[in-house]
Amino acid sequence: MASPEPFETISSLARQLDDRRVSSRELVEDSIVRIERLNPVLNAVISLDKLGAVAAADQADKARAHGAVSPLLGVPMLHKDIFCTRGIRTSCASKMLEDFVPPYDATVVRKLHDAGMISLGKCNMDEFAMGSSNETSFFGAVKNPWDVNRVPGGSSGGSAAAVAAGLASLATGTDTGGSIRQPAALCGITGLKPSYGRVSRYGMIAFASSMDQAGPMARTAEDCALVLNAMAGHDPLDSTCADIGVPDYSAGLEQSIQGLRIGIPKEFFSSHLKDGVAARVNAAIKELESAGAVIVDISLPSTDLGISTYYVIAPAEASANLSRYDGVRYGYRCDSPSDLQDLYLRSRTEGFGEEVKRRILIGTFTLSAASYDQYFMKAQQVRRLIAEEYQSVLKDVDVIAGPSAPNTAFVLNDNSKSITDMYMEDVFTIGANLAGLPAISVPAGFVDGLPVGMQLIGPLFGEAQLLNIAHQFQRRTDWHSLTPNLEGLTR
Amino acid sequence: MTDAATVREVAALARLTISDQDIENATTEFNQALALFDALGTVDTAEVAPMINPLNTAQRLRTDCIDTLVDRTGLMQNAPAIEEDYFLVPRVVD
Repeated sequence: MASPEPFETISSLARQLDDRRVSSRELVEDSIVRIERLNPVLNAVISLDKLGAVAAADQADKARAHGAVSPLLGVPMLHKDIFCTRGIRTSCASKMLEDFVPPYDATVVRKLHDAGMISLGKCNMDEFAMGSSNETSFFGAVKNPWDVNRVPGGSSGGSAAAVAAGLASLATGTDTGGSIRQPAALCGITGLKPSYGRVSRYGMIAFASSMDQAGPMARTAEDCALVLNAMAGHDPLDSTCADIGVPDYSAGLEQSIQGLRIGIPKEFFSSHLKDGVAARVNAAIKELESAGAVIVDISLPSTDLGISTYYVIAPAEASANLSRYDGVRYGYRCDSPSDLQDLYLRSRTEGFGEEVKRRILIGTFTLSAASYDQYFMKAQQVRRLIAEEYQSVLKDVDVIAGPSAPNTAFVLNDNSKSITDMYMEDVFTIGANLAGLPAISVPAGFVDGLPVGMQLIGPLFGEAQLLNIAHQFQRRTDWHSLTPNLEGLTR
Repeated sequence: MTDAATVREVAALARLTISDQDIENATTEFNQALALFDALGTVDTAEVAPMINPLNTAQRLRTDCIDTLVDRTGLMQNAPAIEEDYFLVPRVVD
């Protein structure tokens, strides 16, 4: 049987598997060969489970031969290393968890496994999902397949780079402030952050629990819909997971978007936005208009306030969540601690990287008795105002459209960027996290050879409509099917 | 503005240490972050309830019954030091 191209979509692979034009075993072996060839440069994958993947592929082929049918059966994929995988190291790209092997699967991992997907291994990421460049990983930076001197974005940078480089047609990601959408934009792939509560967080290592959400990163909206069908749904093991039905996200993809009202917030086209990116996103919006959508000017005046709000709340929640890493029950422990306090102090100081420690410090400060009302309580109040602003706008329009990120991929180790410059990378994505809304990034063109993403934000649990619009956009454009030239890529 | 002593105090609360070499930089970055938060002070939130969860729902509770989600042996295998069924730490009481 002829091997499929590395940049096939899940939908295409599923058809080929159904028609017996290829086996799952062949897909897995091809992916492993490709990972072993390209990963020494890209550094997108930090754990590869070759034996497990081949065994699972053989099982999938056997199941298919016995009549099993599933659109995801036998399709290889990768997990962000934030999801607990039973028996496979789950490091969160931190020295703290360098040797952590979970005895259980995250619900997302279990659901995709139950749907027949084959996990090849785990993707690199910013440490504990804190970063927008994937440079904070303990295992080193990930390189952008479109230009290996540039970042892939973050924190799901390994997942985005892996899909963009054709290492797999799907990778899972998580998004607390833009960590699926921004790397999807910078790597030229499609990434969906579902509504808060749409997908279980059980077994997903916590960063900021009131905003963390898992989602699919793939080549197309059609593939994201297929995967969300399997990922979404109530989970009694996550008390914040919504107990509402899961629609068939694939069913409405072909609906016309004629007459849909798409709001364009003027604040998303502010001075933060690079000119070339603005031009590409405006052209993409025109494409939606030519498909019949009605474009409406709107305003989200609190857009910039979102940065201040997010960077109080997320570090505060992180400082609480990461207090569990004390060197006692699991995770890194320092050598020869003199007493218990020394064990805590040195294990945490040596086990966490600089960005994680920076955020723990800020979070500890804003949660302290003297600062709580001024910072943490205040940020939670402003969060409500921001959420209400989105809800109000979404009464007048069906979805909001704009850029996913203010810039294209920036160069690695760019010391000219201050901490707060880096935080501004999230200025257009953070609002959806604060308000709990679903949002998707789709490829919308290139500036100087680097991908640009258009973001669509919808009402709570409005994933089906976002996927419909994104799919219709991708029926009219081919930005999502362009691939980087990786020939001759060696270290 | 927050001074180095306060940053060290916060670090101690967070069970982290900052070396003498790093304290100046850490204090500068700390103040950069706090400056970013100043914008919050300009917003009138007198009548606004804090938003803790974007779904605005109370957390559900499971039935209070014993259930085994994860095997104990698997969990203990990740411990840096154990003896029988216990985690080992340095002596606390002499």
